[in-house]
Amino acid sequence: MLDLALKNIFRNRTRTILTVLGILIGIGAIVALGSIAEGIDASVQSSLQLTASKITIMPAGSGLFSAGNDITPEDLELLQGIGGVADIVPVVVAIGPIQFSGPEYIVIGIEPGKTEYFVGENIGMYQGRPLEEGDSGAAMVGRTTAERYSLQVGDSWTVDEEDFEIVGIIEETGISDIDASILVTLEDLKNVLETENYYSVYVIPDDIKDTEKIAAEVEDASEDLTALTSEELARQASQIVDQIRFFTFGIGAIAAFVGGLGVMNTMIMAVMERRKEIGVMKAIGATNRMVLTQILTESALMSLIGGVGGVLLGMGASFLLSAGFGGQISPVVTPMLALEGVSFALLLGVVGGLYPARNASRLDPVEALRYE
Amino acid sequence: MKQKHEHVIETMDVTKCYGEEGTCEVTALNNINMHVEKGSFVSIMGPSGSGKTTLLDVIGCLLKPTSGNVYIDGKNVIGLDDDELALIRREKIGFVFQQYNLIPSSTALENVEIPLRIAGRSKWEAEDKAKRLLKLVGLEDRMVHKPSQLSGGQQQRVAIARSLANDPKIILGDEPTGNLDTKTGEMILNLLRKLNKEEGYTIIVVTHDSRVAQHSDKIINLLDGEVLNETYPNGSREHEARRRKTGRLGYIESSRQSRG
Repeated sequence: MLDLALKNIFRNRTRTILTVLGILIGIGAIVALGSIAEGIDASVQSSLQLTASKITIMPAGSGLFSAGNDITPEDLELLQGIGGVADIVPVVVAIGPIQFSGPEYIVIGIEPGKTEYFVGENIGMYQGRPLEEGDSGAAMVGRTTAERYSLQVGDSWTVDEEDFEIVGIIEETGISDIDASILVTLEDLKNVLETENYYSVYVIPDDIKDTEKIAAEVEDASEDLTALTSEELARQASQIVDQIRFFTFGIGAIAAFVGGLGVMNTMIMAVMERRKEIGVMKAIGATNRMVLTQILTESALMSLIGGVGGVLLGMGASFLLSAGFGGQISPVVTPMLALEGVSFALLLGVVGGLYPARNASRLDPVEALRYE
Repeated sequence: MKQKHEHVIETMDVTKCYGEEGTCEVTALNNINMHVEKGSFVSIMGPSGSGKTTLLDVIGCLLKPTSGNVYIDGKNVIGLDDDELALIRREKIGFVFQQYNLIPSSTALENVEIPLRIAGRSKWEAEDKAKRLLKLVGLEDRMVHKPSQLSGGQQQRVAIARSLANDPKIILGDEPTGNLDTKTGEMILNLLRKLNKEEGYTIIVVTHDSRVAQHSDKIINLLDGEVLNETYPNGSREHEARRRKTGRLGYIESSRQSRG
């Protein structure tokens, strides 16, 4: 009886459009906000790739991000004493002015021979050369940074009033942490920042299977350090993203809920108006369940239309939002998100329509028929 | 002697009370005993408040009596649940109302299709049969008109076509000519008579219209919720068969000549 339901809801076209709009806007909000969460997740996932097969040592108590360069030379010595380690890569970080979409730039100080651990094996240079032993005042930048600031090999870059010459541009990796980075030598950055400390240290195990063991050893050996395996980082990241998802969904859901009330209201009115008609239907032989199903189908149909429209609206909105994030985060409407949007709409329609549908199914045919 | 429950409709000691839990503040029907023979045309008459509409609702399985038994086509419908009653209404009974009660936003054709769709037929089957029924009542050139585009008589004809959709045995009419002028009313009456005499439908109408009554095989007169008497405007073999006491005032025969 789907064609009948379709016919019935368009009996009062204006009212149906308004009702559908209520759901549509709410679902649009869920999808648009949700796309931000998904975009953050995508960004985080790509960043996590950097941590694979490494142990990231951070100051104790910090999670994914540290407050500053707080790992002391003594801590570093301790790490150098740990067995089963192929290499130690200390890193110093300077962060440029913070903007809406993130810091303006991130400068990473790293030993020239070890840039591979950060940039990745088999990543070559787009232009120029990587940092080399003995470099001073040299920098290599990622593609995104180069493009954003229109940098070529030979240009200069200033950090805290110190000039660095661009010696190389890294080829595009697709990982924003790398593409948006600026790498200088460890010594240079330590001098500029006037610090002996490090931001974090990557510990590269000889054997990947020893990762957990080494991480445990570090934590036992020092109170000041925390050792994060990529699993641990992934877990923490996942927690944060889930919280963001929950939050964005919650806000959108409140808006959609109001739309659901609109559906309920519309159906209550429709049943009231069609009282006599429902009485006639029962007289003709429609069962109570048929009446219930009819009303429920109509409300579900309206909500479904609103749901699909809402997903499309959300997609459009997320496209516009990505301009605002300036490339750091790309909001994306995943298939899962779209499905959630449509399903939630359907749920609102069924739950909202249930009360009026039950009332309709319980109408006494004699009373309903004689209703004026 | 006829066997019990062989009539297409029979009520035995049917009473309908309205009131607070268990009490009988208003007695709409009091011990109604009546029956309708298969293929007959019966009128139910009486002043306002006599219970005739209530009786029609009970016969039509829309209303459950407080006590007594109701037999439709030999089957006792007392104790059946809502779904079972709906099935009987769907399969055995067709309704025609004083105010036509068509769906205003649907065409004449769609209105006649509705009972067929309820019975589970597909859109095409339903459309097919609906067309035939509308042809039967003479409205083939009005099929795509909506009720607002049809005259009262035409609307009632659509309603009659609708009532025939699932091939019922019985057609129940609640003042079917009540909203129509004399000429149109006569046309509807003739249609009903044709359905009764030529197609064999059993027809029961509640009516104030004496013309309708004159053309009936039997008139059941109600007063204050009881059967006052049953009269036979056109003579009847039942009348000759036996006597039966109904209500408190007994049974009165009438042997007027047939008006033809």
